[in-house]
Amino acid sequence: MIYVDNAATTKLSSSVLDKVLPFMADEYGNPSSLYSIGVKAKRAIDVARNQIAIAIGASPNEILFTSGGSESNNWVFQSIKDCYHNQPLHIITTEIEHHSVLNICHELSKNGVEITFIPVNRNGQVSPVAIENALKPHTRLVSVMFANNEIGAIQPILEIGNILKERQVLFHTDAVQAVGHLPLNVSNLNINFLTASAHKFNGIMGVGFLFKRANIKFQPLILGGSQEQNNRAGTENVPGIVAMGHALEESMSILDTEYQRLRKMTELTIEGLKSKISGIRVNGCSDRLPGLINIGFDGILGESLMHMLDLKGICVSTSAACTAGENKISHVLRAIGLSEECARASIRISFGRYNTFEEVEMIVNAICSAYAKIKGISHQII
Amino acid sequence: MSKKNCYVCNKQGLSRKEIGLTKKLLDENATRFYCIDCLAEYLEVDKEFLLDKIEEFKEQGCTMF
Ligand SMILES: [Zn+2]
Repeated sequence: MIYVDNAATTKLSSSVLDKVLPFMADEYGNPSSLYSIGVKAKRAIDVARNQIAIAIGASPNEILFTSGGSESNNWVFQSIKDCYHNQPLHIITTEIEHHSVLNICHELSKNGVEITFIPVNRNGQVSPVAIENALKPHTRLVSVMFANNEIGAIQPILEIGNILKERQVLFHTDAVQAVGHLPLNVSNLNINFLTASAHKFNGIMGVGFLFKRANIKFQPLILGGSQEQNNRAGTENVPGIVAMGHALEESMSILDTEYQRLRKMTELTIEGLKSKISGIRVNGCSDRLPGLINIGFDGILGESLMHMLDLKGICVSTSAACTAGENKISHVLRAIGLSEECARASIRISFGRYNTFEEVEMIVNAICSAYAKIKGISHQII
Repeated sequence: MSKKNCYVCNKQGLSRKEIGLTKKLLDENATRFYCIDCLAEYLEVDKEFLLDKIEEFKEQGCTMF
């Protein structure tokens, strides 16, 4: 199998697995217990909290463990709504956010919260000026994803952060695709809330974190025990948290070399495809995640290509797939101005840590072959 | 809907699954269709593999099958 859908999830790092296995076997203590095995578990999650804080330029007490990106995103919006209960409340976000942001926004708008969705340009990037122009006296939160999960477009987070600091508006970024892959410092970028998910950087599914800047008024998510500074009760997912800490530390240690390597892989893929198939489009812009490309083809369905590649053991994703009989077109591809036809003719390839340059060549050849089969033409005459 | 024949071997009256598989993998607006044997040969995969795929598509809620 060749797995090039690392924006969906990533393989657990083997060295991280070695570090986490004891916590799934003999080191099974509850971090709240006061005897030795519990203290060991508590120390292990403290280490993870510290590893994560160092990775993003935060303090350990600003890291709250969650079940992943969707929970972290929902928590920020729910908390803001609760903090400004019975007061006018305006929130700004973008049209290309993850559904865990869009859907909580739609839900809040049903409950009287004013939401502004800022469009993006053809590159998939939001304008800081558009955000500044949308600010109102009662704007309490702006939420802009760090990098888009479908086209990889990196957003102007520094510029937005500077504007919002000056205007004293809270800034949240869904950095699920960025953490562990792009240099990122919450202090330099004036970020108040940041969402991350462990399985996007070679950790385990079902665990993530929320960075919440110290001294910002915030509402607990789950009431019960005193875990996560009384903000999220419940026994911690110790193996998941331990894995997340080590996985992020490892990702940060190889970030620069991985960035260059993945960038080269995407460049070679685009070059290879363009040399063999006419009408190839790269959706979005060059200012994107290093390993991610969203490619449009001429006259075939992305879904067909994805299934054809799956037959050959290659995992890519499509932004428009037939799910439960419904044809869902990507809101991101529509937001950058693609027609329905072009959106449906696109696939996403996202390279990751365990992909090789040999695989790049195999993927290009497999796509060309599948494209020819779908088109019903000889591979030789493309 | 009129009966469809295999484009390659001319097998008569292709099944819903065979028509669905041609549409799913090659072209949703296909005008020529393959029987399961000819499609497996064209795509250079085992017939059993394609039959497994049909079950996956059905589990995903695809209404073509
Ligand atoms: Zn046939």
